[in-house]
Amino acid sequence: MLILLSCLLALHVPMQVRAQQPAVSHAPAAGSLSTPASPPHTSAPRTIAIDGRLAADAGLHVGDRVVVSSTPDGQGDTVRIGAVVQRRADPSEIARNEYEVRLHLDQLQSLIGYGDRVDRFAVATRDSAATRQALAAINQAAFGFHAYRSTAIAVETSETFKVVSRFHRAIGVITIVASAVFLLCILLLKVDERRRDVAALRLIGISRGSVMRSVVIEAAAVAVLGSVLGVGIGLVTSGIVNTYYEALYRTPLRFSIVTPGIVLFAVVLSLVLGVGAGFLAARRLVRTPPLALLGR
Amino acid sequence: MRGTLALASLRRNASRTLLAVLGVAIAAAMLLDMVMLSTGLRESFRELLVSRGFQLRLSPRGTLPFDTEATISGAGTIIALLRTNPAVVTVSPVLGASVHVPGADSTVASFALGIIPAVEGDYELVAGRDATADNALVANADFLRATGAHLGDTLRVAAGYNPQLRSFVEERQLVVAGRARFVYLSSGEPAVAMPLHTLQEMTGNVQDDRISLLMVKTRDGANPDSVGAWIERQVPRVQAISTQQALEQVDQRLSYFRQLSYILGAVSLVVGFLLVTTLVTVSVNERVGEIAVMRAIGVSRAHVVQQILLEGSAISAVGAALGLALGLVTARYLNTILSSFPGLPARIDFFLFQPRAAWIALGLLVLSGIAAGVYPSWRAASLPVARTLREEAIA
Repeated sequence: MLILLSCLLALHVPMQVRAQQPAVSHAPAAGSLSTPASPPHTSAPRTIAIDGRLAADAGLHVGDRVVVSSTPDGQGDTVRIGAVVQRRADPSEIARNEYEVRLHLDQLQSLIGYGDRVDRFAVATRDSAATRQALAAINQAAFGFHAYRSTAIAVETSETFKVVSRFHRAIGVITIVASAVFLLCILLLKVDERRRDVAALRLIGISRGSVMRSVVIEAAAVAVLGSVLGVGIGLVTSGIVNTYYEALYRTPLRFSIVTPGIVLFAVVLSLVLGVGAGFLAARRLVRTPPLALLGR
Repeated sequence: MRGTLALASLRRNASRTLLAVLGVAIAAAMLLDMVMLSTGLRESFRELLVSRGFQLRLSPRGTLPFDTEATISGAGTIIALLRTNPAVVTVSPVLGASVHVPGADSTVASFALGIIPAVEGDYELVAGRDATADNALVANADFLRATGAHLGDTLRVAAGYNPQLRSFVEERQLVVAGRARFVYLSSGEPAVAMPLHTLQEMTGNVQDDRISLLMVKTRDGANPDSVGAWIERQVPRVQAISTQQALEQVDQRLSYFRQLSYILGAVSLVVGFLLVTTLVTVSVNERVGEIAVMRAIGVSRAHVVQQILLEGSAISAVGAALGLALGLVTARYLNTILSSFPGLPARIDFFLFQPRAAWIALGLLVLSGIAAGVYPSWRAASLPVARTLREEAIA
């Protein structure tokens, strides 16, 4: 069983990062050349990686020397910034304004006095059978900790966004119900406005069915046009939402995605609602005797 | 007479009027819900923070309370220093940690608070006694359910474990003295509270006198922000967070819901306005002959305008009243969804009914309904009487 172990110390400890003061250099006297006194020999500082947000806010770059310590006034360690990393599109981090710094495991353990401890291990296995075996073996031997599949952890940490999704779905249902009522109301008003036209058509022999079909086709046409306009507005709004929130939270995460499935669902729903509202409005009108429609 | 005529006009097309009222009610409900959402979380959180009477929270610099595992050393020295400020009335130190309660078949992990019972501000005692003795603890219902323990039981409680030796370390025998409701914890999270010194001993924090948080109660009339600034000058390694600053942090983290509430609230107002405008306009268009006859027999323009405005207002007012009831029901449902956010204190509500804000919102909707009738009523009052009568007679 091939198992790769990577130890991760994902401790939420606030680290203090301070830039080092630049060394002051003196120009040589005119007419002479001399090499500036070389600094005393020290071992090369270890490297760290910082996230893009910290780099932007503190004006730090790759190669800069900084001091990291676990307390605001601590001595800490002098390190060199080896890399600036872009945050992942992780929804659980968007509302948090924390900066992220990555150090070598042993250095962080030493800085915070953690001894030979870690918060978690990540284990990569060869295949799903090996995963099952590893889970069983680890949990049988474990004391005080437990092994989980990555998918189980993902489900657990997604709970926040499941709540947001349920909320959005509830708002969506309320909006659809409200839209259906508004649509029915408006269609009833518009169809009622043409009651005299309908009365005249009925009186010259046009059947109820023909009148109803014409109203329903008109309602369907309005629904299709409205859907096309709505999809366009939705795409534009989605773009605005993504642009705004990506800038606000400084994340590559996309907050709104318009998929073909969503477009199809919206168009079909609006067609059904439009045709349904048109049918109900027309049915009400054709049931009324033509002379009553004329006010006689 | 205006009222009678307006009512008769609305009753003439009862189904249409009912649909319009229903539409306005839904718009009103949505508007009310969004008003409740925009201020509810903030108000609810503020009430939670001030419920125990502490105006300031001191946490390790750069962190929010219990956001990280960082601690503050030298708690005793800091507390003595704080007491020299006449504006400081009470100081409550708190240490947070995880403890383990081994059982026959399994081990229950629980959040633990080390507190000083006389000045604590984290829980309300529901039954039994407070954790005043060194070997006492109070627990919440979730902990008692998970461990199967009852008041008076003695439990083995450990602060850590040694995976190599497969044993628990820093064990204590603690007695369940009372049952408490923890104010700031999420529902379903097992928790206990014990004397601060006991938890410090168990977690190896005695030597450095470490704690996670200090809560400070200031004198009436004192400015918490000024006291906080003084504390940060005296103790640079802590950060003083007033209730106002904590609310700003919450606002920033949950700004999405406030923005959503503004957008949906504005849309609801516009839709309600458009619905009433459309209905009143169509109603006026159908009755031009009737209006022309009224004008011809001497009814004034003002009377006609008032009658039509009354129709729009009636639809909006009835719709708003229905919308209030509907809005409270839907707010309760939506609150149930959002309250299941993991880690959120159980007492937080996203939708909080605040009478003043609600009446202002619904008042706006009724006003928009009145405004919606302005254009159609002006058109109706401006009809050329003779020409309209002739056209209506021929038609």
